[in-house]
Amino acid sequence: MLISNIKSRPVYERLRLDGAGRRHLVVSDAPRDLPEVIDGVESAGGLLGYWMVASTATVDGQPQTASAGGNAGEVETRAFRAVSHLMDRLTHRLAQESVGFRLYAIGEEGFIWEIARLAREAGLESYECQTAHAGSMRRKVFCVHCKTITSGVTTSLVACDGCGAHLVVRDHFSRTHAAFMGVLADAEAPGDLPPVEELFP
Amino acid sequence: MMGQTLKLRVASAVTLAPTLKAFRFVPAEGGLVPASGPGAHLRLFLRDGDKVHRNAYSLIANPDDRSHLSIIVRRVAASKGGSAFLHEQVREGDVIEAGLPANLFPVIRTARRHFMVSGGIGLTPFLAYIAAFEAGGTPWELHHFCRPDERGVFEALLDPYAGTRVHIHSGGTLDVLDGPLSHQPLGTHVYTCGPDALMTGALERAAELGWPKARLHSESFGGAVAGGAPFIAVLRRSGIEVAVDAETGLLDAIEAAGVEAPCLCRGGACGQCLIEVADGVPEHRDHFLDHEERASNRFIMTCVSRSKTPRIVLDL
Amino acid sequence: MTIQFKPDETFREDFTYSNSDAAVLRFPFPFPEDVYMYSVNIEPHVPGGPTPAFDNPFDVDEHYVAECRERAKVLEQDPSRCKVLPHMMAAQWDTLELIMESFAASYPAHFTLTREGTNWTWENRPLGIRDSFVFGDASTLPLPPFEYITRQAQGDFTLQDQREDNLFVDGGMVTTQADWSMDFNVGMTFHQWHGPVPLAHEKGVFDRALKFLLRLQFGAPVRRLNWTMTVNPRLDTSPENYPQWGPDRTTLTADNIGAKLHLRVELQSLFRLPRSNAILFGIRCYLCSIEDLARVEVWGKRLHRVLRDLHPDIADYKGTTRYRDLAVAYLAAFDDGAALPSGTAPRQATLPPKG
Repeated sequence: MLISNIKSRPVYERLRLDGAGRRHLVVSDAPRDLPEVIDGVESAGGLLGYWMVASTATVDGQPQTASAGGNAGEVETRAFRAVSHLMDRLTHRLAQESVGFRLYAIGEEGFIWEIARLAREAGLESYECQTAHAGSMRRKVFCVHCKTITSGVTTSLVACDGCGAHLVVRDHFSRTHAAFMGVLADAEAPGDLPPVEELFP
Repeated sequence: MMGQTLKLRVASAVTLAPTLKAFRFVPAEGGLVPASGPGAHLRLFLRDGDKVHRNAYSLIANPDDRSHLSIIVRRVAASKGGSAFLHEQVREGDVIEAGLPANLFPVIRTARRHFMVSGGIGLTPFLAYIAAFEAGGTPWELHHFCRPDERGVFEALLDPYAGTRVHIHSGGTLDVLDGPLSHQPLGTHVYTCGPDALMTGALERAAELGWPKARLHSESFGGAVAGGAPFIAVLRRSGIEVAVDAETGLLDAIEAAGVEAPCLCRGGACGQCLIEVADGVPEHRDHFLDHEERASNRFIMTCVSRSKTPRIVLDL
Repeated sequence: MTIQFKPDETFREDFTYSNSDAAVLRFPFPFPEDVYMYSVNIEPHVPGGPTPAFDNPFDVDEHYVAECRERAKVLEQDPSRCKVLPHMMAAQWDTLELIMESFAASYPAHFTLTREGTNWTWENRPLGIRDSFVFGDASTLPLPPFEYITRQAQGDFTLQDQREDNLFVDGGMVTTQADWSMDFNVGMTFHQWHGPVPLAHEKGVFDRALKFLLRLQFGAPVRRLNWTMTVNPRLDTSPENYPQWGPDRTTLTADNIGAKLHLRVELQSLFRLPRSNAILFGIRCYLCSIEDLARVEVWGKRLHRVLRDLHPDIADYKGTTRYRDLAVAYLAAFDDGAALPSGTAPRQATLPPKG
């Protein structure tokens, strides 16, 4: 059973602002400087927002405005207490948006594909939501046997949070589940497990 | 390749306006017509003496019970072709031949809302669209552009849906689209059908307002595809040479010579008629080949394209 | 034509499934040449082919009733084997219409479709089903239309929605699969869905196949064959139940491999659906033990050569690594090395006795 070189594994590129959009929102799962995460901000023809997760209760999600430099107008920055806090606010924003909007997400895979799912559910096309990876490579793994998703997986082999099966992590990625496929490693010879490797630090 | 053909009887032919005639067809030999979906077209093979006109018309309905097929035909000014033939020669009770319905302008099933822009007879596919949206409960909005003198005809056609979703414009400007296009919820798709200038105009406005290509859909209607310098097509496998005159399309000339060639849309869109070029340089007029394929000059879409060289050798 | 069904066959536990001689001879053997490699092996799906398995749009054979029962068992345990995204309702009705019309036309002794406008009555005599419903009104059927009809057909089915110049697998009934999961794959693009297949991506197979399929026309379906191998006549070799069937692979011995190891062939068919513009992908699974296959002289020899010379990546992907040597050794006894004509027809009308 091959576990690598599978073409459904996402390939990430650096975020680049789509100048054709009229309103742009960048979301990040950690505080990062805007120019660090996205190119082309100076060509933003319209409104630009930058929302980040600060991971502290001391922030309140209030908008702050600052100049983005270049020809761009102002950037409206918001800091959120946690990923869930940001997602909740984003759901409201998406419900009010109209066509012409572009969304950009950067962070760990678990985060960016959750954002992509929210975007899809709100009616955004894949072209209107860019994703880029930053931070840990740890994965979410969908147990194909019991349907439980195990998060924070850094190794080639992991015990499923649901059924306890030793899962080998395939490179097969489902955008719907925002997770990689996990398949029982020792089905053919119970107890005969391959060595555990740290593959997704 | 004409593929499977249907024999249809003209159940009714109703003049809607001096230039517009509605036809309703039923199976000539009983049974049911083939199923079709919104955006599908029907190709008619009209035998006019020793000539065969091959014209494609959007189906204006896709009845669940498959009892009939309906089209509306605009008589093209100065036409010597299919539309004039349909208007003048085809009567109730006549039996005509047609291909199976095909769809090059399908509805985007994942769309949350549908925004349609039509011009003149380009309304026809949207009559089928609207029926499907109504049946499925999907929100929609239509902007129809027409000449002031035809307004009444289109109002009558759209009468069952009159209300806030139908907007008929006979003022000649597309400016009225800017407002609505700026305020469509995420998940809306735009479809346009009609004269080239209208479709291009509508798509350009949408693009300027931030609409990505994936949300924009258009159907181009036939247009003139023949016309150009005459040339000789050498059909290598058939072992014959075909003279293509200035007024005839390559595919038409090949068929007139009795050679079966693959084709479907006859409009350079579907890709079915792709033929390899062994020698000579094609004049590409299709929408199918990509930039690289065009530049290689190794392929030609016979339905619309011609030859830049006096001779072109085809693998046919 | 009346088919003699074998309703009590099983595809699990005691595995009483078997092929009659006629069923062996109609097997859609997949290897026209001695060497196997991926290709865009697509041809028009028109009646007729090397065996009667190709005679109808949807093949019904002696295993029909037993396979439908097996499907019902799988669905009872795991209803997510049938998943259809909400925007595929038109494609659901397309599928129902296509299968009912085809069955009624191909097998009038077993299936009857009566229509008056949109009032339809469907009779499936082998399964004892008779339902009247309104075409287009899902509330008049006991199950959603796609599930309703695919529970009454052999083989798996998926629905592909066409948009953005791509195909999305936005629905499916998948209970007899060769190790892929509908629940995991739902919503994937053509290339994502085929992600795990080795070598073929590099050869451009999927790029060309996709371009071809995007142009697939209503009324002009196509087909291709795919294959793998399965230990025991088990239809449900899903990744979901891999813990149950994975151990089978270690049970093979030189003595039992002929009866236990099955060549699994998928007769895949692709139909453009007229109302939805979606594509229906039929994956009709046939199982035949290598012992029975070797009773057809040209098939035994060819299978030996294909397995012996199989590219290691493909052998691994198809899960044969553990027992390939054993199978090759078993089949070698049937192969004198003589040159074989290309093609897949059995070239004999009867089978020698077993054993």
